[in-house]
Amino acid sequence: MRDLERDLRELGLAIAVPPTPDLAATVRDGLSSRPPAPRRLRPVLVLAIVVAVGVLAGLAVSPARTAILRYFGIGAVHVELVDRLPAVEPGAPLVLGSEIEPAEAPFSISVPTALGDPDAVYASGNVVTLLYGSPDRVRLLVTEMGYSALPSEVAKKLVVTTTAVRFVEIPGSDGPALWIEGEPHLLELPGAPARLAGNTLVWVPRDGRTFRIEGDVDLDDALRIAGSMR
Amino acid sequence: MHQGIAFRTAYLVTGSAEDAEEAATSGFLKAYQALGRFRRDKPFRPWLLSIVLNEARNQRRSSGRVRRLELRAAEERRSGDAAPSPEAAILDSERRGELLEAVARLPEQQRLTILCRFFLDLDETETAGVLGVRRGTVKSRLARGLARLREDLPDDA
Repeated sequence: MRDLERDLRELGLAIAVPPTPDLAATVRDGLSSRPPAPRRLRPVLVLAIVVAVGVLAGLAVSPARTAILRYFGIGAVHVELVDRLPAVEPGAPLVLGSEIEPAEAPFSISVPTALGDPDAVYASGNVVTLLYGSPDRVRLLVTEMGYSALPSEVAKKLVVTTTAVRFVEIPGSDGPALWIEGEPHLLELPGAPARLAGNTLVWVPRDGRTFRIEGDVDLDDALRIAGSMR
Repeated sequence: MHQGIAFRTAYLVTGSAEDAEEAATSGFLKAYQALGRFRRDKPFRPWLLSIVLNEARNQRRSSGRVRRLELRAAEERRSGDAAPSPEAAILDSERRGELLEAVARLPEQQRLTILCRFFLDLDETETAGVLGVRRGTVKSRLARGLARLREDLPDDA
C-alpha cells in the first residue's frame, strides 16, 4: 500500500493554483493602516478621488471603456468600483416587474414594521420590491432578493470613486451590510434596464436572502428601517 | 501577509481564480469587519481562513458549477523524459489525476478536512480552528476520508 498521506501532500503541491492576485488594495489598506473603529461605523472604503460622472443622454449602456477598478460581492449584489459610469438613458421609467399581492411573492417576504405595509409590491423573477410612495414619486424601495444560483440573477452596482461605500452593522443582525452614499451609483437588476440609484443600504440576513433599501434616507433612517424587517 | 494562503484556500474550494479572488477579498473584508469579535487568545490564521473558506463555499454554491482542479502542466511533460525522474517513481501523473478526482468525490466535510490538512498543510489544531470543529472531529473525518479514498482508488499493480 502506498503512503496515501504523503501522496495527498504531493498532490496538493501539484495542483495548479494561479498566482495570488493583488487582492483589492482597499482591503489591504483597510487591514494594515487602521485598526477597526470602535464605533458602529467602520469605513472600509471611503473613496476620495473626484472623477466626473459621465451620464450621456440617449445612449444605451456602453461598458466598453469602463475599467473595473475593484469589485466585491455581498449576498446577491456585486459592487464594482469603476473609473466612470456607463451612460444610462435619463428619465427611463422605473422597471420593477409585475405588481403582485404579497402572498404571490416567490418567497415569504419581510416587511419593515417601522414603515408598515408598502403601497405596492412588485416581483420580477427572484426579486421582490416593496414600493413606498407611487411609481412616479418613489419615497423608498425595499428590494428582497431570494437565494439564486444563477450569476445572471445577481444585481450589479457600479460606483465611482466619489461614492462612499462603507460597512455598517444592522441592529439585531450580524450579517454583513454595506452603505452606499453620495454620488448616485448605477444599478443593474436582473430583467430591468440599468438606472442610477441614490443612497442604498444592502445587507444579508442569516437566511441567505439579500435585502436592499434605496431612497432619500440617511444612514440612521436606513438602519432603523432595516432593523425592523420582520 | 495572509493573502497567499487565503487565495490558495479559496481557489482549492472554488476551482476558479475569479471566484477565489472574490471569496478571499470578501473574506478579508468580513474578517476586518468582525475583528471586534476575534478572541485575542486564539491564533489569527485559522480564524481568517475559516471566514475565507466559508465565503468560498458560498461562492462555489452560488456559481452553480463545480469546477475541476487541474494539475500543473509540468506533470504532463515529464512523461516524455528519457529517464523517469525520482518523482515519477513515487506517483505518476495519471495516479495523481485519479487521486484528485477521488478527493473531489468525497463528502464535503471530509473533502474540506483533507484540503486543510494535506493541501494547505495545516496541523490538526489549525484544521479544527478553520473548520470550527474539535480536534477529535478532525481526526475522525480524516480517518473516514482516507479510508474512503483507499476504497475508491484502483489497486496498484
